[in-house]
Amino acid sequence: MRHRLLTTLSLCAALTACEERRPTEQFAAPGATPAPEDVEPGPVSMRRLTRVQYQRVVADLFGPAVVVPPLAEPDVAQGGLLSVGAADTTFSPRGVASLEDAAYAVAAQAMADPEARAATVPCRPAGIADAACARTALEALGLRAWRRPLTGEELDRLTGIAAQSAEALGDFFAGFEYAIAALLQSPHFVFRIELGAGAVSERRFDDFALASRLSFFVWNTAPDQALLEAAASGDLSTEAGLRVQAERLLASPRAREGLGNYFSEQLSLYKLDALAKDPTLFEHFDTELGPDAREETLRFLLNTVFDADADFRDVMTSRESFLNPRLASLYAVPAPTLDGFRQVALPASAERAGLLSHASVLNLNAHQTSSSATLRGKFVRTVLLCQPIPPPPVNVDTSIPEPSATARTLRERVKVHLESPACASCHSLLDPIGLGLENYDAVGRWRDRDNDAPIDATGDLDGVRFDGPIELGQAIRDHEAFAPCVVRTLARYATGRVEAPGEHVLLDDLSARFAALDYRLQPLLLEVIMSPMFRNAGAPR
Amino acid sequence: MSLHRRAVLRGLLGGAAVSIALPLFESLAGRKARASSGGAPKRYVQFFWGNGIQPQRWVPATEGADWALSEQLAPLAAVQGALTLITGTEVKTGNGSAHFSGPAGFLTGQAPLTKPGGDETVGGPSLDQRIAAAVGGDTLFRSLEVGVQPGVRGLSFNGPDSVNPAESDPAALFERLFGPTFRVPGDDAPPDPRLALRRSVLDSVMADARALDRRLGSVDRARLDQHLTAVRDLELRVARLQSVPVRRDACVRPEPPQALDPIDGRPQMAERARVMADLCTMALACDQTRVLSVWYSDPLSDVLYPDASAGHHQLTHDEPGDQPQINAIIQGVMTSLAYFVGALQATREGEASLLDSVALLATTDVSEGRTHQIDEYPILLAGKACGALRSGFHYRSRTKESTSHVALSLLRALDLPAADYGVDAALVDTGLSVLEP
Repeated sequence: MRHRLLTTLSLCAALTACEERRPTEQFAAPGATPAPEDVEPGPVSMRRLTRVQYQRVVADLFGPAVVVPPLAEPDVAQGGLLSVGAADTTFSPRGVASLEDAAYAVAAQAMADPEARAATVPCRPAGIADAACARTALEALGLRAWRRPLTGEELDRLTGIAAQSAEALGDFFAGFEYAIAALLQSPHFVFRIELGAGAVSERRFDDFALASRLSFFVWNTAPDQALLEAAASGDLSTEAGLRVQAERLLASPRAREGLGNYFSEQLSLYKLDALAKDPTLFEHFDTELGPDAREETLRFLLNTVFDADADFRDVMTSRESFLNPRLASLYAVPAPTLDGFRQVALPASAERAGLLSHASVLNLNAHQTSSSATLRGKFVRTVLLCQPIPPPPVNVDTSIPEPSATARTLRERVKVHLESPACASCHSLLDPIGLGLENYDAVGRWRDRDNDAPIDATGDLDGVRFDGPIELGQAIRDHEAFAPCVVRTLARYATGRVEAPGEHVLLDDLSARFAALDYRLQPLLLEVIMSPMFRNAGAPR
Repeated sequence: MSLHRRAVLRGLLGGAAVSIALPLFESLAGRKARASSGGAPKRYVQFFWGNGIQPQRWVPATEGADWALSEQLAPLAAVQGALTLITGTEVKTGNGSAHFSGPAGFLTGQAPLTKPGGDETVGGPSLDQRIAAAVGGDTLFRSLEVGVQPGVRGLSFNGPDSVNPAESDPAALFERLFGPTFRVPGDDAPPDPRLALRRSVLDSVMADARALDRRLGSVDRARLDQHLTAVRDLELRVARLQSVPVRRDACVRPEPPQALDPIDGRPQMAERARVMADLCTMALACDQTRVLSVWYSDPLSDVLYPDASAGHHQLTHDEPGDQPQINAIIQGVMTSLAYFVGALQATREGEASLLDSVALLATTDVSEGRTHQIDEYPILLAGKACGALRSGFHYRSRTKESTSHVALSLLRALDLPAADYGVDAALVDTGLSVLEP
């Protein structure tokens, strides 16, 4: 295990880093394999609520009448995921200020809206400072907000804030806003404190921590009342009890939102809100293209998982998709509906199948004015196959020639990458894949020619020949690294961290289960939850 | 608190390559120096743009006080007298990470840290935050981070993985600086009674953090401590809002900025830079902060500029020949810098100009964008830091001196008694002598 880690690190530093590397090396089976239950769990740490989680948890607490302001603190991707970055980052001074602004904005609305107020403060205050009523309300709200029961000391303090503020302002509910603001700014709210306790060899999460892990993984929001009750009763400590709740959450429509967030992080679909292309070059581009393209991809993936319950690898080859008129126009197929999205089976003439032909992926992995074989190849290697590519070496001239009479297509222009040994070691892993997608321009529109020269979209993916994007999608679907990469990324998302070296055993075990489940993602989610990686707590970092 | 913070950060990431966040003596000594200086407070300002310069068009042919501006520096003609150009220096921390090794090495004195998943962060706090810890304690904002490119994040770090994200929305920046909470200096209306309630809520938040701290491992304790520091910072700000702001002659509430939407998918960088420069100048004149960073664009920035055929970063690699489009972009950045320096210079504080109290550092992430090299590092200074910096010349290093010398001179100009700057090959214990009076 240690050896493998060192290999990875030295690869990143070496100039000709990619030469020595076997594409499937990181998935090779180690010599002596411990049983999954004997693997030492990786370290646990508190996780910041992501911006999306903050929105959803607060909305769950106070209902639809409350508009939750966006936080000023950006999420940061680590290990390819915002959810992993959330375990490393914290809130900056500006982020803390925006937490305060948001807390008061939410509290004021919650007390102004009659329905939200009645749900938050179910008792009728007997006076300006009715401490008993405030305490009852804070006990229930605190349990849901902090995902655990509050201690007596914590309740005393919050009740004191409500009373003091109510006296100062002459109104019970005006004072209660300050107690809400204290709940929502607390580190117990804005961080997920799922730490585990006990001796080193048998550290485990308590039931409330497990409930929180489960809920954020499947729903991307805090536990509901039923899950909190299961935690309080001790049910989650048993394998059967955890399984019952996991199955309940997976069967809920909220699981679609949760898994949608996973796909958004994995494929960087959240970046589509700020998609920038040159509208003078691409008539199909406007600011709605990015959000529409994300909608297509999310509908397609969630349909594959929850409605079709299909082999997940087919997302690389499926001719099914969901289009609205804008995307149908981009794809040059008849619009399936006059407004909104509808499922369509794309005709062979559309030259599109699977994720690689989606406008989302094609736009995100291209420049603003042109396509990019390197960016698209890097997406396939790092995101779909989990094969890291070292950064380019420094102190080399990285320019490629402009289009000319002798080098009109991108394939001809990026040839220089493959002629220099310093460049070729990595670019030979990237450019041939991306060139297979050259028939799609920077916004994902089909084209036969580049600068009026015919596009050659043939290539080779680790020994498998392909001609054009549809065969490339098939080659990725059948690549031995593809399904294990799904497993690894999902496990990182679920645990909020990059796997410890010893945990490759657990990932291999999950990959074997994924294969045995005919590569259906829904039951894989359950396997991830029941895996020691998810259930066992390592030492605090 | 500071002792605790040091102890905690030492353990971070295994301890090995990580330097300590904020030496205790810096913050104490910084306060003392400030208390005795009188008159205008010293200010530290950073101006940063992504993707470098073109050395052959950047480095002037002449040196010393009679230097003539080069082609790329020509837009700075109106403020040349207030500038110091430093060429020929090198970032000594290695160049393993294109676009990040340079600014990490210069601004933190350390090579980037690589984490288990392959991601990178800095090894310690950035220069601006070391200065903010020492001189930022007396103002409404300990430091301000402002962006010109929409969505720019910046490189202001409290420590590993803890970035201070820039505000790049002019309206939101105006709201923070001059919105409803802004009080014109000298305004002695009684404070809002709600401020006291806000403070007791923040006290409760800090009590939660302290109780939690005992249960965490060392890495999380450092993260929580950063969070707690930010909450305390906010509480201090609320406390300041309760007191009467000190009168400042140059301080007036500016007009709210106009919306500046992109045109044909291209952000209005020059106009945005002017609006932000005006707000920043007034934030300094009103003494709302003494440490300010303007992130014109990030490393690897791919802004699509007006008339450019591709995004900025893509052009640095794909534009052939001597890259006339890149040259135009850099000259545009220098035009924006000239406007900002001019605005600081035109603002009077008694007999002096606001710029006289400022130490301004303008720099970028690489020397030449096309090659990612980090020798011939671009460094421009402006202002005199109340006489603590010599200015008005071009100094060219013949020996590839370390950029750390410049950073150490800046720390000392701001009265931080730093003994040295940087680690390993970047460690120096002398400033750049030509900068020191």
